[in-house]
Amino acid sequence: MTTADRILKSISTLPAFPATSNKISQIVSKPTYSLNEVIDVINLDPAITANILKMANSAYFGAAYKISNINDAVSFLGEDNLLRSVQTAVISKYFKLGAAGYFCKRTDLWEHSVAVALMAQIFSDMINGRGNNTLYTSTLLHDVGKIVLGEYVRDSLAEISNLVTEQGKSFPEAEEEILGINHADLGGRIAAHWQFPTEIIEAIAFHHRPDLLEKQDKIMPWVIYIADQACLMLGFGNGVDGLAHRAVSPALKKLNIRMKDLEASMVLLLDKLRQAKELIEII
Amino acid sequence: MSDLIVGISEMKISANEDDDLMTFALGSCVGIVVYDPIRRVGGLLHYMLPDSRLDQRKARENPEMFADTGIPMLLRSIYRLGGEKKRMLVKVAGGASILDDVNFFRIGQKNIMAMRKIFWENNILIDKEDTGLSHCRSVRLEMATGKVFIHGSGGEIKEL
Repeated sequence: MTTADRILKSISTLPAFPATSNKISQIVSKPTYSLNEVIDVINLDPAITANILKMANSAYFGAAYKISNINDAVSFLGEDNLLRSVQTAVISKYFKLGAAGYFCKRTDLWEHSVAVALMAQIFSDMINGRGNNTLYTSTLLHDVGKIVLGEYVRDSLAEISNLVTEQGKSFPEAEEEILGINHADLGGRIAAHWQFPTEIIEAIAFHHRPDLLEKQDKIMPWVIYIADQACLMLGFGNGVDGLAHRAVSPALKKLNIRMKDLEASMVLLLDKLRQAKELIEII
Repeated sequence: MSDLIVGISEMKISANEDDDLMTFALGSCVGIVVYDPIRRVGGLLHYMLPDSRLDQRKARENPEMFADTGIPMLLRSIYRLGGEKKRMLVKVAGGASILDDVNFFRIGQKNIMAMRKIFWENNILIDKEDTGLSHCRSVRLEMATGKVFIHGSGGEIKEL
């Protein structure tokens, strides 16, 4: 069995993705629903309940007074923020173990994922005048492949780093050459295993090379790509890969944003991260 | 001994020999260390962007965010504690870029250029520089000795 086969096989050992967030999005997409239906689903999972309460009190979601029970939290958050906080709570569980091999600190990958998710929302707001829930989920999960690939990267780090420094390969290119698969592609397969929609699977799988995706009309992989690169440039969650990633030239043009907008979004991100510390602290 | 941690868009100054000033994960951001070996005062700035004209309100609130407001603030703070320009050691690190970074995302390059220009205009020589390329750096200044160490993301350490 090749290394890549072993890596792919280990996907099946990951626990199934909890149905909580799916159930809630189904409920809120109905023409009419009661908050009690939502609360009943959340209450089935005590860990998620506690985390949603924490996040409801975060300045990022605009909390102005202390929210102390789940009923108040659900009615305060509103649909979009509720879905995002449920998704954050659910996904954070997988990031608790970190991605040793890439990072020194267990919490680094989660911090990076939250930073990229917030940055992508800033871009989405800039481009469309509003945030986007599918984008939020995709960005939180964009590096999920690192959770599985971490131990393999650790064992082959010398070889991978050598390709980066000696041959000018990007880190994902070197992963692919040495291990047979890169973390983005692997992340896409994990999302497929969890039965996410194609749009999310592709956005994860192509987050370092949106230019290689056939469907060039899709904007989401480009948003994730730029948000990810911007966070790496700012040092939010860089691991052993550092900044060894390809610059994909048409990226800014694709989103119709200027260099100045990119810089302004970085300024905004620092504020958002300060407001969102509860989202980072839930793991 | 205490470690003073300098976050992104922050600065710390010390006149205490027991301190270490540290900043983590400089990507395209730049870390500037200044140190007067006679007065033993030093400072570390971690700025994010080259030019405060981007957002002047922000620059007033948080001058450490930009090279052109942060570096003068760092120098003034050192002078205030008795540090002198002619004795001052200046060491800089960071300003990395992603690969093939030719025509966009040039923030690392712009951060390096901005810093060199400011020191040039103030007649200050940069003693040591570890900038550019595509890796992250962490920086530590030992106040007792004035030594500056660069930590790479793979755990390697070298003196600058």
